[in-house]
Amino acid sequence: MKAQTEPVREDVWIPTSCGGCYSQCGIRVHRVNGVVVGIEGNPESPAGSGRICSKGSAQLMTLYDPYRINYPVKRGNPQKGVGADPKWQRISWDEAMQVITEKLRAAYEKDPRGGYFQATTVQTSEIRFAVIAFMRAFGFKNYWVSGGGLWCGNGAHFMNGIMHAAWSIIPDFNYNNYAIYFGCSKGHGAGHAALQTAQQAADARVRGMKAVVFDPYLSTQASKAHEWIPIRVGTDGAAALGMLNVILNEINVYDAEYLKLKTNAAYLIQSDGDGYYRRDPDTRKPLVWDPVDRMAKPFDDPAIKDFALDGKYNVHGTDCTPAFQLLKEHVKKEYPLDKVSRITSVPEKKLRRVAHEFVEHAQIGSTITIEGKTLPLRPSAAIFFRGSQGHVNSGWTCLSIDLLNQVIGAADVPGGSMGHGPPVCHGHPTTGKPNTVPYPCEDGLMVVKGWVYDHKPYPLRKPQPPQRLDLQDMFPCSVYNAFTICSPNWEQYLRTFKIDYRPSFMINFGSNSVMTMGNAEQVTENFLKKFDFILSFNIYHNEFTEAVADIVLPDSCFLERYTPCVTFPSTFCHPTGLDQWVWQIRQPVCKPLYERRDFNEVMIEIASRLGIKDKYYEAINQIIPIRYGGDMSPRYRLDPKKDNTWEQICDNVLRDRLGEDNGLEALKKTGLEKWRAKVDEKYWRWFVPVRVPIYFEYFLDAGKELRKVTESFGMPEIADYNFFKPLAQWNPCPSHKMENSEYDMWAFCWRPSFHTQSSTQNNPWLDEIATKDPWVYFIQINAETGRRKGIKDGDMIWIENPVGRRIKGPLRLVQGVHPEHVCIAGCHGHWARGMPIARGKGVFFADLTLCDIEYTDSITQGSDTCVKVKIYKFEEKG
Amino acid sequence: MRYGFVIDLKKCYGCYTCTVVCKAANHTPKGVDFAKCYQGEIGTYPSALRQMLPTLCMQCAEPECLAVCPTGATVQDENGIVTVDRDLCMGCKYCMVACPYGQRHIVPEWENYYPGAGDDLDQYQAYAKATWEEKNGYGVATKCDFCRERLKQGRQPACVEACPAKARYIGDLDDPESEISMLIRRERGFQLNPEFGTDPSVYYLPAR
Repeated sequence: MKAQTEPVREDVWIPTSCGGCYSQCGIRVHRVNGVVVGIEGNPESPAGSGRICSKGSAQLMTLYDPYRINYPVKRGNPQKGVGADPKWQRISWDEAMQVITEKLRAAYEKDPRGGYFQATTVQTSEIRFAVIAFMRAFGFKNYWVSGGGLWCGNGAHFMNGIMHAAWSIIPDFNYNNYAIYFGCSKGHGAGHAALQTAQQAADARVRGMKAVVFDPYLSTQASKAHEWIPIRVGTDGAAALGMLNVILNEINVYDAEYLKLKTNAAYLIQSDGDGYYRRDPDTRKPLVWDPVDRMAKPFDDPAIKDFALDGKYNVHGTDCTPAFQLLKEHVKKEYPLDKVSRITSVPEKKLRRVAHEFVEHAQIGSTITIEGKTLPLRPSAAIFFRGSQGHVNSGWTCLSIDLLNQVIGAADVPGGSMGHGPPVCHGHPTTGKPNTVPYPCEDGLMVVKGWVYDHKPYPLRKPQPPQRLDLQDMFPCSVYNAFTICSPNWEQYLRTFKIDYRPSFMINFGSNSVMTMGNAEQVTENFLKKFDFILSFNIYHNEFTEAVADIVLPDSCFLERYTPCVTFPSTFCHPTGLDQWVWQIRQPVCKPLYERRDFNEVMIEIASRLGIKDKYYEAINQIIPIRYGGDMSPRYRLDPKKDNTWEQICDNVLRDRLGEDNGLEALKKTGLEKWRAKVDEKYWRWFVPVRVPIYFEYFLDAGKELRKVTESFGMPEIADYNFFKPLAQWNPCPSHKMENSEYDMWAFCWRPSFHTQSSTQNNPWLDEIATKDPWVYFIQINAETGRRKGIKDGDMIWIENPVGRRIKGPLRLVQGVHPEHVCIAGCHGHWARGMPIARGKGVFFADLTLCDIEYTDSITQGSDTCVKVKIYKFEEKG
Repeated sequence: MRYGFVIDLKKCYGCYTCTVVCKAANHTPKGVDFAKCYQGEIGTYPSALRQMLPTLCMQCAEPECLAVCPTGATVQDENGIVTVDRDLCMGCKYCMVACPYGQRHIVPEWENYYPGAGDDLDQYQAYAKATWEEKNGYGVATKCDFCRERLKQGRQPACVEACPAKARYIGDLDDPESEISMLIRRERGFQLNPEFGTDPSVYYLPAR
């Protein structure tokens, strides 16, 4: 029977921002007769330039999905645990709010510190208001962001903050000719500003840019690259240090001017001073050696004629060496290519050749004039992300790779590696906000101005007795740590470090930590089941809600709500290398359906019911200057005594940052505000008077102070202090120390670009492409390895880790995996009842990982995501 | 003029956006893709490559599907786009057998995308189903038509407009000065399986 199409009463396109992943591309949404019928790219937006991806387009199916949560529900089954049937019972909003208020008020009166917020990174801009404001207003500091354990970049964000004032780094696709990728996919449809970088990378490929990809897996980026170099998982840092050795000690070509003026390479280190700077006795400033005047001078002395990078100098009776000389000697001694080749499995010849090509392509000495400004042209870059840094050596791996950029002067200059999103913004022409220009510390090193969270990457946090339940605030450079909270020893940690309160309630916004934090059982049993009450905002039921949530509220999705600033902080997801800045908003394209309500609106109501809304508004006033660069004008500060709706808050933020004519009503018409990006913002390195370290002197004190604190509590073994040294190092994961074992393969995971972490697998359109994809739902091993083991393509196999935890899935024999490895698409293998499309498809890799100190980076507390396993065929009984 | 397509395999990185946005734009039912993207491996470790191959109807100049159509439902318009008259098609599937590129699709009925939801369609699917029925219907050998309606409105096909890598181009093959003609000439453009003899209007630029 033929259905009748209705006469058209309404046909509109609404500009807003995508929320299918954290890229936040500009989109326009087509609504006909009140029904949303299409999502396309917004050609007016520089964030995507009218493009859209499969994930974004498929979000149409999220809006009307019958499996969405449409009403508040409470748990009918008091039993909690992985796979539990929660027996949801529908309740009214009134009842839900009554229970929530009661539970939270009791916790507030008993001890507010026991609260915990957990949030998704997919809805990046939403979490900057309600999460932080509520934590501050209520008075607790415990926070987990999903992905922080397994899927995000603890080491990457930390190191990029120190070296590039940015969240990530990316090749300058406009001018780059040679990029080395270490376990990352920038420019291939995933990650921050995915659409814009996909287009930039595609154009660069056609232009002739070469990419060389170090990866155990023939990933999308490796498939598109000039060369794929299979490498043993988790050893990228060693490869980088081996190549650094080649550059500094064999090729002996580097950008001396950059090293002298933009790093601490020339700072003198006392030979008998345990690795500390030699400082000027009066000013306490680090000294450098001026070879022209043959004397030591403070690093910023305007009378310096030149800086020595090599040699040994006597300064007032003590021998001193420039940091650069120490770095050269260090990599020569510790990372000779034969040793690096044994660690990485990459032939010496290849490492040497890539190092040569990297330096040759850098064209050291060349310049380019852009908009009248003459800048160094360094069309060579080395970049990294999740794959290479998700290991015990997380922080140092990132730094080691970035040192490649630093020695050739290819940092935030045309052609080189760029801070991504663009970290330096001079602000909107009418307001000068956001202003995010970094500034130097007393030692001349770069301090970021705006940042994504409260604690800046540098100066490091001073180690102190912890107050947080994950002990994060005790560590100098920790971003998120799972090893405390998810380990069976959590209680022991809390007692040892004299934490005098315990977890009471958790509010979860969209995170599915049961699947994204570690193995599901450890996360659930050791961490999530310790809460008396868990409130969760979700659009679907997932493994988290079913395992542990007590009340689930029906959140509106990104198509049903307002968010005032989705492309800022620029460090997070603003596209890099563009001629324009763009400030985008998110606005509802239809009223929330059923009883769905927006997270930010509901959190304001919860704060009001608890009598803390004044503190909540005041917290927003405090957050804005940190996240969005610059003080709030008194006119737009929220009045804590008044009732401020979420829309009013959005309006105030917009007018404050973009000028009084750019309030919410104005931005609703276009969805965005654009202004010109200047060359000194885009290629900011030589315009901002800051240096970055190639020698991490301050790690010495950080390690000593950390040890002092941990010893005072009787648990110094909580960190390996050998990590806290000034020179780059590579440290093995537990998996690298298991030789001649029956666990003869490394398991690791990869991310397909057409899924967003664990949040999109239930989308029917994305499931259709995943089903047709030859790899994503399979366990991949090298065909030759399969032949040796007598297992065939299509076999069901077990993968078992050394503690007997095992996962099962269908095997695909391929050529595109290093022969020692088992390769699995992360975040698949859902089992939640609320995800009937995703359920049972793909394999749940994270179940093989372990949350424990042994699997944790001592610098950043990031988690290790490689594991030694054995594989064998699954035999069906009977 | 003769509409043609160029797909630059060097730019394409296999994100499946063409597949999904085509589905969204044409409201195709469950399991039906007018713009499939195939992926596979070439060579052996460690020199193996992975290759993406996005496809769509080739709008052949000598379409086999038209030659075998017994009812005259399949026609070629003045711009070379091959379309199907839903009222003339009797669903004999000759065209499906004849098309060497597998670009014909018969939909028996609208199947709900969501398991367990039966005939209870959500608002979007109700709209999509009605739109599908008005244009294509069931038991009809449907196909990609280069988004002919969008072209008439001066827009590009959905897959061209959305492609994150800007790997897809549409233009006039008859005009030697058109962007696609130049790309085909200068970048060694090739047709998929030209030996089938149908003279496809879709050209690919080499991946490497």
